[in-house]
Amino acid sequence: MIQYASIILFVIGIYGLFVSKNVIKMIVSLNIMEIGLNIFIISIGFVGGGAIAPIISSTQDLGLIFVDPLPQALVLTAIVIGVGTTALALAFAKTIYKTYNTFELDEMEESA
Amino acid sequence: MNAVLLIVIPLLAAFISIVSKKIAPYLLLVVGLFNIVLLFFLENGLVFIGGFDVAMNSDLLGISLLLDTYARMALWLINGLILVIFCLNFKSYKAFSSILLLAMAGLNGLLLTNDLFNFFVFLEISGIAAYLITSANKKPVSTFRYLVIGAIGSSLFLFGVVVLYAMYGTLNMIVMIQAIQASGNYAEVILPFTLMFIGLGVEAKLLPFNAWVKGVLGHSNTLTGPMIAGVYAAAMSFVLGRFITNLFVFEGSLLIVVTVLLALGILAGDVMAFSSTKTREILLFSSIAQASIVALLFVNGVIIWAVYLIIANALSKTVMFLVINKATKDVGSDESEALRGLFVNNKLVGLTFTLVTLSVMGLPLLAGFVIKLNFLTQLAGIGQIVLIAIILVASVIEGIYFVRLIVKLWYPGESEISVKYNYSFKAVFIVIALALLVFGTYSTPLTKLDNTIDTVMEVVNNG
Amino acid sequence: MASVELLILFLVGAGVIAYILTRFNTFLGSIFTIFAVMFVFVSLAGYGFGMNMDTTVNILPGISFTETYLGFYFAIIIVFVYLMVSFFHPYYLSEYKYKNSYNLLFLLSLAGILGAFYTDNFLNLFFFFELIIWTTMFLIPQGKSKEAAVSYFGFSIAGSVAMLIGIFITYNVSGTFSIYQGLAALSGTNAIFVFVLFIIAAFAKLGSFPLHIWLPIAHGNAPHPFSPVLSGALVKLGAFIGVLALIRIAPATGLFTAMDLPIGQYVVAILGSMSIVFGTLMAIKEDDAKKLLAYSSMSHGGYILVAFSILNGIAFAGGFYHILAHALASAGAFMAIAAVARATGTTKMKELGGMIHKMPITYLAYLIAIISMAGIPPMGGFISKWLIFQAVIDKGMIFVGIAVFFGSVGSFLYVFRPLAALFLGQELTEYKKVKEAPLLMLIPTFILMGLNVYTGVFPGGILKFINNIIVELGYTGIEVSTYEINGTNGILNPALIGLIFAVGSGIAFLIFIVLKKSRKVELMDTYTAANFVHDEHLLHYAVDFYAPLERLYEKQSNWMTKFYTALAEKVRELGKLGKYLFMSKNISTTVFWIVAIIIFLLWGEVL
Repeated sequence: MIQYASIILFVIGIYGLFVSKNVIKMIVSLNIMEIGLNIFIISIGFVGGGAIAPIISSTQDLGLIFVDPLPQALVLTAIVIGVGTTALALAFAKTIYKTYNTFELDEMEESA
Repeated sequence: MNAVLLIVIPLLAAFISIVSKKIAPYLLLVVGLFNIVLLFFLENGLVFIGGFDVAMNSDLLGISLLLDTYARMALWLINGLILVIFCLNFKSYKAFSSILLLAMAGLNGLLLTNDLFNFFVFLEISGIAAYLITSANKKPVSTFRYLVIGAIGSSLFLFGVVVLYAMYGTLNMIVMIQAIQASGNYAEVILPFTLMFIGLGVEAKLLPFNAWVKGVLGHSNTLTGPMIAGVYAAAMSFVLGRFITNLFVFEGSLLIVVTVLLALGILAGDVMAFSSTKTREILLFSSIAQASIVALLFVNGVIIWAVYLIIANALSKTVMFLVINKATKDVGSDESEALRGLFVNNKLVGLTFTLVTLSVMGLPLLAGFVIKLNFLTQLAGIGQIVLIAIILVASVIEGIYFVRLIVKLWYPGESEISVKYNYSFKAVFIVIALALLVFGTYSTPLTKLDNTIDTVMEVVNNG
Repeated sequence: MASVELLILFLVGAGVIAYILTRFNTFLGSIFTIFAVMFVFVSLAGYGFGMNMDTTVNILPGISFTETYLGFYFAIIIVFVYLMVSFFHPYYLSEYKYKNSYNLLFLLSLAGILGAFYTDNFLNLFFFFELIIWTTMFLIPQGKSKEAAVSYFGFSIAGSVAMLIGIFITYNVSGTFSIYQGLAALSGTNAIFVFVLFIIAAFAKLGSFPLHIWLPIAHGNAPHPFSPVLSGALVKLGAFIGVLALIRIAPATGLFTAMDLPIGQYVVAILGSMSIVFGTLMAIKEDDAKKLLAYSSMSHGGYILVAFSILNGIAFAGGFYHILAHALASAGAFMAIAAVARATGTTKMKELGGMIHKMPITYLAYLIAIISMAGIPPMGGFISKWLIFQAVIDKGMIFVGIAVFFGSVGSFLYVFRPLAALFLGQELTEYKKVKEAPLLMLIPTFILMGLNVYTGVFPGGILKFINNIIVELGYTGIEVSTYEINGTNGILNPALIGLIFAVGSGIAFLIFIVLKKSRKVELMDTYTAANFVHDEHLLHYAVDFYAPLERLYEKQSNWMTKFYTALAEKVRELGKLGKYLFMSKNISTTVFWIVAIIIFLLWGEVL
């Protein structure tokens, strides 16, 4: 169920990028998309009924159900990377604003 | 000695260089040289990271790197080119040395890693470095556009990777290939493969995911032009080749779509270059076409000549962008009309540029011809006459606009222009042009390397 | 024994030496070039006629040679034209922008020629063709127009690309790149494809309709000593491919029983005759002497195509002989024009006149060349046309017949114009100080004159050699003795005709000597019906010479040029469309494409 939610978020992000012409709005859309993706990653690691921490212990834990830990590790990295990209995007947004005094891509005169 | 040093050392140097800006450029030189030398001593094979015990490594759990001849060639090319390009821009773009170190780490990682998620991380690292490099163009909007499209691309790539992980429970490429082969159900991997192909396609400049190229390369300078069109294009083509030949299974409608896209990319790239009057645009559109040709060769299993094509293109495009971007900077315009007679007083540069262009066009006596003829022969061997026709028709268009450009650059218009290339530039031009000439006339060493350059499959098959 | 490989390497080495020599002294470098080409010609002529060339390859990787009568015939003609032209170099090169590279590229392209005609491997053939194209492509912009090179290169490369696709189809079918095995293995649809592609290549190189646009542009604007090479030598590459396609491939298309001719060949013959007609009409219209000769080359290319599409020995003999005759004639004519252009600086007919007084030998060379071109005895062009006409009539090809006769009559109309405009008529005031060409340039002029006559009077020896080629191609040769040629419709004795002409000319010369000299008048010394003509140029009779005839097809004459301009424009517009579709400034476009592709794929497979 949560997978559908994440995909909806992802699509919303894509839609935002499709329609918006504002630099900040685009960055926000990008973030929404990434959040959707992150939730999706987390969701695939979910194993129903998993109640034990995924740690290898000395005791025999065969047969016990635990949540897949790898997606959690992945999503942490993905979030960090997402933050990095966002920061960079915001830095460029700042430069753009300094140069053109606007955030609207349509109002800028920069030859492609 | 461990292949991971190729990634770690540049990364470490990048951090150090932020602390001490003064030593940064020298650090880059040292690290670049170190990487190139290190490559001589490393042995082919899998490298395991993370200190798991042998038992786990043998099951290919954990993260591993794969160094084979394919990766080695790519790494030499990438590190060498970064070094050369930086040396040429040593004075003007000193501040970019940390970023170039980052780019080096990211690209080396891309070419070495055997883990799909790791691959995504390196994709983002090299991507961020690329965005920062293009900021040297002083066109923030183009850079921003590149960033957004790049971020979409890598998100899609990650999406695909995660879907694959959900299906097969592994991120290790070799295990994944084995698992996909074992399952044999290619219909269910269409979605992840499409997403990953698009994600890589954005960076590899494949049509129609490459709208950023025009803004970025159309305003490039002597640093960004060769870096993006030479180094990044080569690295991404290598990576794409790795994925296409090993992981991706293009069948049915996916194969059709990919083939059509690539064929369209070849034609559209050359037609767009034909309709351009700006020199930088001509070069960038032609490199779009070349990137599509390379990908098309990989799709059809022509590996070794695709690799040579990547190398020849990276070298040629480096020279071409250096020549044109330097001239553009001095003249103040990149219109081919404005650059008329560029070579009148730069005969040596003109000669090297002409030779390099002839190589790109695939005319005899130059390496481009040998490569072109050989990959076409292989395509003919598997009966892809239509693809041959498309590539060749595009090459007619390509030939016309390049000849038009060369003739313009050799013969002066009304006003005389003066552009000075210093000796380091000329030295690089001569070395590359000579290399193309030598391998064009004496091609035996090229044909000696056989077509099984890619060893991933061997690892897959032999465990 | 002269080795083909060594000759090629020699030419490459000589090219480098010529480059260095030219750098220091243009004259010295050009003289060296003459000797280099002469060495190649002498070795070729010394061993080639007896098929005694050494074709082993020791050094060059991946290249193999074989010796055929066909290849040798082309090679010797082209090397000869190169040799003749090289005599002009010392006097022209110094004015060119990149004169150092001129001799280098010239010799390199000759190396390509040798390789192309001696190789037995398709890929080598393509290699040498491309080599010839790009080396010569850089020679053309040294002349008048820089864009001419682009046009020449575009058509040539389109031709060789068509050929390469054909080669790969052959390879796909036969698994070999060997020319003779490969072509022999073709059959059915594949043979037709390869045939069409090779014919496209042949048309592009030969400059035949509808791929003829580059011909006047390149010939007209090339450097003066290079135009004869283009017209006399390089377009013959197209004839070579044409022979391969028409005779060696000869696909099994349907048969016209009335003419006993396959449809493919017949279509080529029709296109060839269209070349003849259009070339002739355009030449009649042209004012620039070099462009006029270029259009005449186009129409002669048509004759060659017609000849090779009629599959019998007489036609082939005519075609091969025409290649030789046209090479000699057009080289002679272009070189005469080049000599005039060197002296006066123009090739426009209405700006010239009366050159006969200053350059009588050049005049004579031109006269003999155009007589041969028009196919009048006793020159070589007559023999070949006689053979071709016979073959055409024999087959009962009405349209082709009309065209070849039209072309013959038409060529009287146009070749006469430069003669009258450049050499005859009144001397214009600005050329008072013009002198005859220097001795070194007169050497090839005399040789060509001699050969034009020789080929017309004593064709026996050459036709016997051509018989070897025809037999090699699998057809029966023609009957020929030392003095007579046996055609299907009669016996020709060229030597006799030559003798009668000699006697006639002698009588005319006697009359000229004995009778009263004509009085020389100034151009302005004329009656102008109360009009005051202030400028003598208006009285030049080359102005609007065939005005009534030209008016008939004035509007249609630039259709093809317009077509290709429009084609280039369309490609450009397509590029703009591509930029609009894929290279938009909006990120939404990229997003749209990504989403569209994903949805398209999922629609078919998963959803």
